[in-house]
Amino acid sequence: MHESRNRRGTTNRAPTISATSPRLRHRREHAPTRVLVLRESHETPENVTRRLERAGGINRFGEPNYRAVWGWNRLAWIGGKFEEHDPATGSLLRKVVELRQEPKYPAVNRWHIERWVGPEAYGSPRLWYAQTIERENGISIPALGPYPSRGEYEHCFTLEGPRGEFLQLTPTAAEHIARAIEFSRHLPRSRKRSSVDDRERREDRAYDAWAYDQLDNAVPAFHKQPFVTVG
Amino acid sequence: MPAQANANVVALQLEKVRDKVPLLYERDDILLTMIQQRGDVEKVSSRNMRLPLQVNPGGKAGSYNADGGDLGRGSGTAYDVAQVSPIFFRFAIEITKPVEYATTGRDRAVENATKREVANGMKQFRSFLDKLMQTAGNGVLGTINSVASTTFTMTVPYGAALVYPGQTIQIYDTTLTTNRNVAAGVTTTVLTADPVTTQNITVDNVPTGTVATDVIVHDGLTGAQPVSLFGIKYHQNNATTGTWLNLNRATYPIQLQTPRVNAGNAALTPSNVRLAINKVRKSLGINHISKLIAYMAVEQEHAWENLGITVSQIIKEGGSDGNDLDLLFSGRKTMSGIPIKSSVNADQTRVDFLDLSHWGRAVLKDIDFYEVNGNTVFPIYGASGGIAASYIFYFDTAFQVWDDSPRTGAFIDTLARPSGY
Repeated sequence: MHESRNRRGTTNRAPTISATSPRLRHRREHAPTRVLVLRESHETPENVTRRLERAGGINRFGEPNYRAVWGWNRLAWIGGKFEEHDPATGSLLRKVVELRQEPKYPAVNRWHIERWVGPEAYGSPRLWYAQTIERENGISIPALGPYPSRGEYEHCFTLEGPRGEFLQLTPTAAEHIARAIEFSRHLPRSRKRSSVDDRERREDRAYDAWAYDQLDNAVPAFHKQPFVTVG
Repeated sequence: MPAQANANVVALQLEKVRDKVPLLYERDDILLTMIQQRGDVEKVSSRNMRLPLQVNPGGKAGSYNADGGDLGRGSGTAYDVAQVSPIFFRFAIEITKPVEYATTGRDRAVENATKREVANGMKQFRSFLDKLMQTAGNGVLGTINSVASTTFTMTVPYGAALVYPGQTIQIYDTTLTTNRNVAAGVTTTVLTADPVTTQNITVDNVPTGTVATDVIVHDGLTGAQPVSLFGIKYHQNNATTGTWLNLNRATYPIQLQTPRVNAGNAALTPSNVRLAINKVRKSLGINHISKLIAYMAVEQEHAWENLGITVSQIIKEGGSDGNDLDLLFSGRKTMSGIPIKSSVNADQTRVDFLDLSHWGRAVLKDIDFYEVNGNTVFPIYGASGGIAASYIFYFDTAFQVWDDSPRTGAFIDTLARPSGY
């Protein structure tokens, strides 16, 4: 099977035609080429990296506190027993116990902003393995991979529109998100709590107003009050 | 011609707004109504609804000797049938004489009073059913931690979150065998509830024998081990004993078990979340988590904010410098890329990852006013047998909630609550 990568990191694969009959060979030779995009990878632009470093500073290892990553490029360890299913029928094909690197976030075709979290946030190595070791078929495997002794970058924000549409990564947007998170980090907990509570109250009032409007729609215009022309 | 009774005017008003009742009910802002009535099972009869489940794959895989070897026999997919029977729920609204005095003879006033009662009643009914959605299918709304006269301090979870003032409740022993209200011949009504600070509720009557560890269930349940709405804790459960939709959990201990992460009374961390999500990915396939939502109490949403890796609610409301880039924050909040849905009714110590495409509502009767021979408003009779100074109408519906794939979700439980709650 022919596979190629372009400079942007897009992996293209030509579809395979296994049959060798002259008719199918003719079709293959004269059909327009169809390219299936299997995965698209992108490196973070240098100017975005610089702006994020300026907005969030660097950590104790001299690495930036914030970074932008493309979903397909961001891999993380997943260990344990995997069940592999036939995509067409959904039926179980096999079970395998192993440690893999797989895309960390469900939105693989989006840019994500991550923040560095220190190793202490994950507890001690002993605690990490106590919490994450899974035993399958007599094999012990760390479900989240090795202990993050240099910390780990965790998901902060997926760059997409309100309806989930793609948004391009720009230095300005990346810096704005990092500064917003830094601003959030320094807010008092009580204020954060009250803003969540306020939102719940607001949603409650929004339901009331909406319900009253709906019921108003059920009655005649002007509530059947007589009216006269003025003027 | 006799004078028109106010009840007739109210009935007329109820009829005018009747087609709006499903609209008010079905608004998908609470978990219950985010679970759709599924087209294939929209209406069920009073018999159990049957859900065929593929419990084990079929086929025999292996190598064979092509030099005259035996290829062996095959096998087929194994199916079993889960069953759901709807439960009837009602919400009763009474209009008393003072309302009538305030509205006599004026259509507009009656219209407003009716509108207010319908809107408030529907809001409260939805809230009640959404509270039941948080439970384990037995109608338990809370556990008593201590009793002091007519004040119960409730155990978290759920504390006092699932009851409301004015609600009629029943008290059962911890094994759900003895109904203390029936035994004592008294009715218990909640007078006050504080789900924020003290987790106390006060009631009018405490049945004899009520002790700490007793549980509170909703009105209308009877007998031992009552059955109510099958909520999140019924379907998202890692038990390997008991029954699930009439199937024995012990028969399918793997298939019916929802992956669990035990937080051990510690605060929420990103690794808890990754562990839970990865359990789903391992069982369903790496790319099969796009439909998940992270359902949690506002406490855990706050705990996630406290980790300092997300944009605060304050920012989402445009509380920073309010420029065009703030539109970036108008989308949904996420937890490791999974959209967050938070609720004041959810278990305060738990985060559930739900794939609602596997959940559904089996509906026997759609939400409507309760009707007898065309009447929707009924008089109340006093103890003497005479007419009481009020009349009543009801909302009623019959349904049950199902989940055809308990392994599609995951949950984190025994989480610590952030300080201040």
